[in-house]
Amino acid sequence: MKYFAYTQKLMVILLMTASLSACQSAPQSLYQKVGEQAGLERLVDAFINQIGQDKVIFHYFKQTNVSHFRAGFISHLCDVLDGPCQYDGDSMVQIHTGMNINEHDFNHAVELLIAAMDEVGITHPVQNQILAKLAPMRSEIIKI
Amino acid sequence: MPFFVLQERLIVKLSIALLGCLSVAVSAKTLTVVDQHGSPVKNAVVELLNVATDKQPPQQIAIMDQVNKQFSPRLLTVMQGQQVSFPNSDDIRHHVYSFSEAKPFELKLYAGTPKAPITFGQSGVVVLGCNIHDSMVGYIYVGQSNAVFVSDDQGKINLPDNVGEYVFWHPEQASNINERAKMSWPDTGTDARVKIKLVTPVPRNTFGEKFKEHHGQ
Repeated sequence: MKYFAYTQKLMVILLMTASLSACQSAPQSLYQKVGEQAGLERLVDAFINQIGQDKVIFHYFKQTNVSHFRAGFISHLCDVLDGPCQYDGDSMVQIHTGMNINEHDFNHAVELLIAAMDEVGITHPVQNQILAKLAPMRSEIIKI
Repeated sequence: MPFFVLQERLIVKLSIALLGCLSVAVSAKTLTVVDQHGSPVKNAVVELLNVATDKQPPQQIAIMDQVNKQFSPRLLTVMQGQQVSFPNSDDIRHHVYSFSEAKPFELKLYAGTPKAPITFGQSGVVVLGCNIHDSMVGYIYVGQSNAVFVSDDQGKINLPDNVGEYVFWHPEQASNINERAKMSWPDTGTDARVKIKLVTPVPRNTFGEKFKEHHGQ
């Protein structure tokens, strides 16, 4: 009887320790929060569909290679959201130079990205964290 | 009187000299190219074989430009050893590439950053694409000599009188893209006709193609 109570106590302690150590391990990266590679693929595919059915910014993409854009954006997001990737594509400046994207069209693209994040079930707090990571790139994209 | 004779002789001599210079360009024969439906075919390429032409490639640098997300011209003919520049007249970037055996290459063209011309040293067909804009397709036909001719909108190619054996090629030919068919001019006649089977190019991997039902095309 005593022995059983002892083991029970031990197990409880062990379990608590285990859960504690889980809490103490590195916080989840945004990459993990969006579902890692598979989650990013779902997100970028949803974004591509949003663009494809859009009237405002579609013209920027009309002649764009879908696979090239998909692979590039997935890799870029993986890098920016602290996933295990090194984005080695063109810089945001190189990509957007000459497009003369105005504020309205830029904001519209952000709205489409938000719609895509909603579509794949990314929670609003995580969406905000993602947008905060992307926001500094605005000046590398707009009006160049 | 002697003066006039002299003048006449001069004119004759000059004419002969001019004819000599222009012997390759004198258009004495016409080839008409039609497709399987009998419609005229432009951009068909004829390269004459066994003709004496310059052995040295032209010093002039040929131009394959990028304009409004298209190659311009769509088809360029050069002589092996000739240089081609890719100026990119668009404000945006292009990544021009070719997987063709005659000249595999890759060229990242950023706005306002010219790249050195590329030498096309091997004769053959070079298919061009752009990694960014898959709608862009272009062709460079690299001839062994400069005796290369291209059909016009009416499908006509004016050829010199001495045409004998020649090779024939078209960017949309049903046969393999690299295949250059060997042909001979008929023994008699100044006009000849060639029928070629063309195929519709495969759809490109673009947003425009993927989502065309949403954009009224």
